[in-house]
Amino acid sequence: MKPMEKNKETYQKAVARLREIVTDIERGDLDVDVLSERVKEAARLIKLCKEKLFQVDEEVKKILEELE
Amino acid sequence: MSLYPDNSTKEQTLTLRELNLRVKSAIQAQVSGMYWLRAETSDVRVNHASGHCYLEFVEKNKQTGQIVAKARASIWAKTFALLKPYFERETRQAFVSGLSVLVKVTVDFHELYGFSLTVYDIDPSYTLGDMARRRMEIVKQLNEEGIFTLNKELPFPAIPQRIAVITSPTAAGYEDFVNQLTNNKPGYPFQIKLFTALMQGEKTEESIISALDRIYGYADYFDVVAIIRGGGSTSDLNCFDSYLLAANCAQFPLPVITGIGHERDETVLDMVANTRMKTPTAVAEFLIGRMDLAAEAVEDLYQSLTTLVEKRLTEQKSLLQMLISRLPITVVNLLEKMRSQLLTLGGKLPTASILLVSTQKSILNDRFRQLQQLSYTQLEKNRKFLQLTEQFVTLASPEYILKRGYSLMLKEGKIVKSVSSFSEGETFIARLADGEVNAVVRFVTKKKNK
Repeated sequence: MKPMEKNKETYQKAVARLREIVTDIERGDLDVDVLSERVKEAARLIKLCKEKLFQVDEEVKKILEELE
Repeated sequence: MSLYPDNSTKEQTLTLRELNLRVKSAIQAQVSGMYWLRAETSDVRVNHASGHCYLEFVEKNKQTGQIVAKARASIWAKTFALLKPYFERETRQAFVSGLSVLVKVTVDFHELYGFSLTVYDIDPSYTLGDMARRRMEIVKQLNEEGIFTLNKELPFPAIPQRIAVITSPTAAGYEDFVNQLTNNKPGYPFQIKLFTALMQGEKTEESIISALDRIYGYADYFDVVAIIRGGGSTSDLNCFDSYLLAANCAQFPLPVITGIGHERDETVLDMVANTRMKTPTAVAEFLIGRMDLAAEAVEDLYQSLTTLVEKRLTEQKSLLQMLISRLPITVVNLLEKMRSQLLTLGGKLPTASILLVSTQKSILNDRFRQLQQLSYTQLEKNRKFLQLTEQFVTLASPEYILKRGYSLMLKEGKIVKSVSSFSEGETFIARLADGEVNAVVRFVTKKKNK
């Protein structure tokens, strides 16, 4: 798999995982200890998604500039 | 000599002009007036100085595509100035080569310029109908080959950031497109790469396919392909109703978005594209919109998460608060209960212990008395038994028996119990209470047995 493919995958996976976490918490049967773990994970994923959405991927930029 | 039958005479010779004039008059006699002609345009060119349009009409064999008839034609500047805008407004299609048209013509023959047609009118609806029919045929073929919906079936990427653009860099739309994407308000980082292609004229099909081929090699580096062309002027859309182009686009591994700047019915390229937009601007808006959706989705998730976690924590806090507020009362109650239990127990203890001790004592006393009684009785019993035994022993002793008048007879120191033991003349000893007698047996008399 190419590095950028992996990045794309990561975004999709991150969003999917976020949805999963929200559903888990919604169900309300999470232990408070687990809850705090999930929240930490979710915060990390949200940060990752926002980076993908709003930050220039220098690697992508470089590769595209080098094409042809 | 002649190989052909001949009714001419050598005296009746003609100049070329004279012959052409005869042809001209024959034509005028036979095909005078106006004709509605169905044909395909070819080699369309406009003389910009005069404003006249020169072209050729051709007819092709439907199966082979070979040209089976051909005629030169002219549209005089005065007519062309009216017909061109009318045709293009109605069809949204530039008046170019390769169009099927229905035109009103006269047949002309000029002794110097030869055979040609002159166009006086055109029916745009025929061309529209023909273009629609052609599109339908292409769509049918794509459907039959099972590729028509392939590009539409590709999932549109969640974050379409890396965009391969196919367009002509000189096209007005491209710069706007890039500016719009680059200066988007939320600040999404679009990466745009241009793949140059001709966007009008006969070479369009080939040129776009070649651009797609170039992108294909880097398909992994892009999220989507945008085929765009600046709108505004009426344009040659015929080239986008191409089977080859549509087939290439339909089978392309990346989703294709079109924005080829037109208002009329979709071209086949639009039909097979994953997403069809009217203009490059609309394509840019769409891409920004998709990014907005992705950003909103993340924002929504973030909000849900925050709300949910706050709710959960509030619940937990209030539960804790409730427990804490109830704790002192519960503890006091519990302590009080235990204390009173203790007190009750403490109060009962002396009485209970005395009672217990006295009960035990009386039991002990009883036991002691019982034991005394038992041992006394037992002793008494034993004493009586001893007395009786002593009495018995006294009564049974030989001395006592001898005293009462009995005697023992001993022979050689042994007690004799039967007369059979005696023989006449034998000596024996008779023991009595106060001494012994040495005696001799005179005779023995035995009791007779019954």
